[in-house]
Amino acid sequence: MKNIKIYIVTLVIAAASISCNKVIDLKLANDSGKLVIEGNITNVEGPQYITLSRNVPFTSTNTYPPVLGAIVTVSDDEGHTYPFSEDPNGTYTTPQMAGIAGRTYKMTVVTGGVTYTATSVMPAAVPIDSITSKNNDFDPKKNRKEVSIHLQDPSDVANQYRFILWVNSVQVDAIFAFDDEFTNGRYVNGDLVENATDIYPGDSVRVEMQCIDKPMFTYWVTLMNQQLGGPGGGVAPSNPPSNISPACLGYFSAHTTQTVSIVAK
Amino acid sequence: MGKSLLFILFLFIAIPVFAQKKFTLSGTIDDASTGEKLIGATVKIKELPQDGTITNSYGFYSIPVPAGNYTLLYTYIGYNAIEQVVTLNQSRVYNISLHSKSELNEVVIRSNKPNNDNVTSPQMGQEKLNMAQVNNVPVLLGEKDILKTISLLPGIKSAGEGNTGFYVRGGASDQNLILLDEATVYNASHFFGFFSTFNSDAIKDVSIYKGGMPAEYGGRLSSVLDIKMNDGNNKDYTVQGGLGLISSRIKLEGPIVKNKGSFMISARRTYIDFFLHASSDSTLKGSSLYFYDLNAKANYHFDDKNAIYISGYFGKDVLLLKNTFGTNWGNSTGTVRFNHLFNNRLFSNTSVVFSNYNYTIQDFQSSNYFKATSQITDVNFKEDLQYSMTSDHMLKFGLNILHHNIAPGSITTNSNSNFNNESVEQRYGYENAAYLSDEWRLNNKLTLLYGVRLSGLFLLGPGTFKTYDAAGNSLTSQTYASGSTVKNYLNLEPRFTASYLLSENSSIKFSYNRNSQNIHLLSNSTSSTPTDLYVLSSNNIKPEIADQASTGYFTNFDDNNYEFSAEVYYKWMQNQIDYKDGAQLIVNPDVESLLTYGSGRAYGVELFLKKKFGRFNGWVGYTLSRTELKFAAINNGRYFPARQDRTHDLSVVGIYQLNKRWTLSSDFVYGTGNAVSFPTGKYQIGGLTTFSYSSRNGYRMPSANRLDIGATLEGKEHKKYHSSWTFGVYNVYAHRDPYIITFRDSKTNPNTTEAVETSIFATRIPSITWNFKF
Repeated sequence: MKNIKIYIVTLVIAAASISCNKVIDLKLANDSGKLVIEGNITNVEGPQYITLSRNVPFTSTNTYPPVLGAIVTVSDDEGHTYPFSEDPNGTYTTPQMAGIAGRTYKMTVVTGGVTYTATSVMPAAVPIDSITSKNNDFDPKKNRKEVSIHLQDPSDVANQYRFILWVNSVQVDAIFAFDDEFTNGRYVNGDLVENATDIYPGDSVRVEMQCIDKPMFTYWVTLMNQQLGGPGGGVAPSNPPSNISPACLGYFSAHTTQTVSIVAK
Repeated sequence: MGKSLLFILFLFIAIPVFAQKKFTLSGTIDDASTGEKLIGATVKIKELPQDGTITNSYGFYSIPVPAGNYTLLYTYIGYNAIEQVVTLNQSRVYNISLHSKSELNEVVIRSNKPNNDNVTSPQMGQEKLNMAQVNNVPVLLGEKDILKTISLLPGIKSAGEGNTGFYVRGGASDQNLILLDEATVYNASHFFGFFSTFNSDAIKDVSIYKGGMPAEYGGRLSSVLDIKMNDGNNKDYTVQGGLGLISSRIKLEGPIVKNKGSFMISARRTYIDFFLHASSDSTLKGSSLYFYDLNAKANYHFDDKNAIYISGYFGKDVLLLKNTFGTNWGNSTGTVRFNHLFNNRLFSNTSVVFSNYNYTIQDFQSSNYFKATSQITDVNFKEDLQYSMTSDHMLKFGLNILHHNIAPGSITTNSNSNFNNESVEQRYGYENAAYLSDEWRLNNKLTLLYGVRLSGLFLLGPGTFKTYDAAGNSLTSQTYASGSTVKNYLNLEPRFTASYLLSENSSIKFSYNRNSQNIHLLSNSTSSTPTDLYVLSSNNIKPEIADQASTGYFTNFDDNNYEFSAEVYYKWMQNQIDYKDGAQLIVNPDVESLLTYGSGRAYGVELFLKKKFGRFNGWVGYTLSRTELKFAAINNGRYFPARQDRTHDLSVVGIYQLNKRWTLSSDFVYGTGNAVSFPTGKYQIGGLTTFSYSSRNGYRMPSANRLDIGATLEGKEHKKYHSSWTFGVYNVYAHRDPYIITFRDSKTNPNTTEAVETSIFATRIPSITWNFKF
């Protein structure tokens, strides 16, 4: 269903086929130095990572200063506490843990005299069945491909999914977040529609599927909708609603993860 | 408060009833060659310069005057005036036929006696489009378009390049009421907004009220665009049409019974898809991309006192990618009107109006198969009366019972599909209104137009209705039986306008009006996508309310050749709607939980200079304005510029008749860019560059400007037929107006980011159309 908008946007742009693109210079304010927390707890046994950094102005290079010296812990609703230790690049790690479905995880970050907290519930894992490639609907001539994911959505609960796509080991610059509002209990064949990277036969394709909780779905889908832009600008973009308080950039997500790879054909 | 206001109103009106008994002059004014009733034609009495009237929507006029000898003057723009000497010792009916100055060439030529209605009329904030000018203004791909032409007037702004959406005095595009023969047109655009649903061949009269709203109109905050279809020629059969680059059109009209009844049928269809069908590619061959319109109208005048009009519109857009995806949407409207003259001073019109807008979206790919539909259906009963009580008082009153049925959305699928069948409960409601207004000429300088409109919304069951807290959590849920009342809102809307003549050719006017709106468009896209979703005011959504005060100076000079006006307005808006992050509006039963409410203010100055007559005519319109919104949840609760906030807006339109056959035209537009949110910083999330924002709509798209030119070549005069060619070039100097600006990692230097501007129509677009009439 969410693809409707992509279809319409693509068709409108295609219809106005006399369109053209140009890189331009814009004078933008310098918004920098704001704390960014990216915390992930997965169901895979191993190190878990929480990254602290700061944002930089639009005109800077894509390197983000790390935030060092913070105290980072994660606890769950069964009384376990996991301390995270600091790496030089601003990544905080706990060596060995696995999130368990149904548990609520709480992240606590103390930095600059402020305590930031966030909670996230790890959903039950839904197994991904397979991924396949097929002709891109809008570009069958050039033999461009599109990746589809296949899974059985459980009917008893509301599910939210996030997918991450790599083509030839490079992450595609697109966000994919779906829920089962229209697909609850169905066998789902979903397309990862994107315009950032062209996929051709022979390309190696990897997909990570995450089962995420509802606040994280809102977070990712807000970012996804902003990416679409849409004619004349679409929704007014803003920072997505973070589950961290006091508010800062970033999120804390407890989610399950699985990865599948194929060669596009 | 309401009752006392009504009482005062009646008091004003009651006084003059005791005045001296008068006779009544009444009748209709029509076009001598086609029998089309003329709307807004002027009747003046030389001996009583302060008295006078204009014809209503059905060409009817009525004016009570004392016994005496008079010279009546009937005038209408572009027509030869008629003088009539009368000895009035009893009430008289004069049905007048005026001859067009140039029956072939529709260019406005100086009439015998240019009038100064714009100065003397108490109405303000109203713009009327002259269809002859619409036909000459150059437009994209040569598709004459009233919506694009009105956006060249001050205070009315186009929603974007090549877009028929428009904003009036800072209002959102759903705050415009668009009426076609009294029927609401919910989606006035074809092809995602590049063309309007109004085929100008079928249109007789276009008025837009952006302020000083008369009491007979209501239901929207910002404006009423009142469009009336041609009645059809009641003297002769004619066929006219045109072949254009993207569409062709044809119109048939003629008498049903000569001088008593006539019909008009007008159709338009695009033909890009014929090229698709000719394609060798099997996908393209099976694909569709077209729209069509059909306008039809018939009328019959039983006698001088009774007439019936039946009109309808049907339009559809179809877009289909074979085996992949399809969408179609369209409006249909139908109006039956019955005019009755109770006596020569009391005119009534009874209308039954039907309106429907629906869309379907389909995905044909087996696993994605679904069909989503949505529609809104209105049935409206209207009774409008007009009473020429004395020469000083003209009363209008009436009532309106409008039933809405909204089917917000349902999805049907099959067993192979990813999707489930879903359906959102239909909603039912009545939007009812009663109004009373009086146009009172106190003396030959001061005229008041005042009235009141009482509007009510009655949201009815059946259905389950929830209330939500600010965070969107459901608080209560209650199920109602069919026909039981869920929620009522009543709004009293005062309307007041005063005009004071400073001299014969200049006046100042003041107006205040309150408008309320109970049907709201939810769309988090700015373009006209077909997936428009309408909701009624409810437990959660309160009626939108706007109060507008405006004042202006109006003057004509050089013997009424030129018209100049300056208007200032200030508008306060309450209960405005915006969306929460990630709002999913399509087929969502809890859509009201995704809304957030705030207020707004809009103010500005509009300057308008128009040369009305002569070989060279046209206008310059300039608006300086500001529109700001305030929502607790957005921009830290501070005012931010609305998307449609446009500081400067300039339009210049010029039409020059070179000689008998050639007419040249040109328009130039300049406008401040839309207010948008650009990133002020960036960070990395999920392995991707992500942008951070510090304020809502804190930046501007680059300003937009464009020059279009056009030329019309009239064919040689011929007894049996007439033809003409229209040539146009859109965007003469190939200006790149940015359509959208996106931000991404640089393609050339991936460790940096860049802003990318996408423009459409960034090149000269020529067009050619051949028109014929026989």
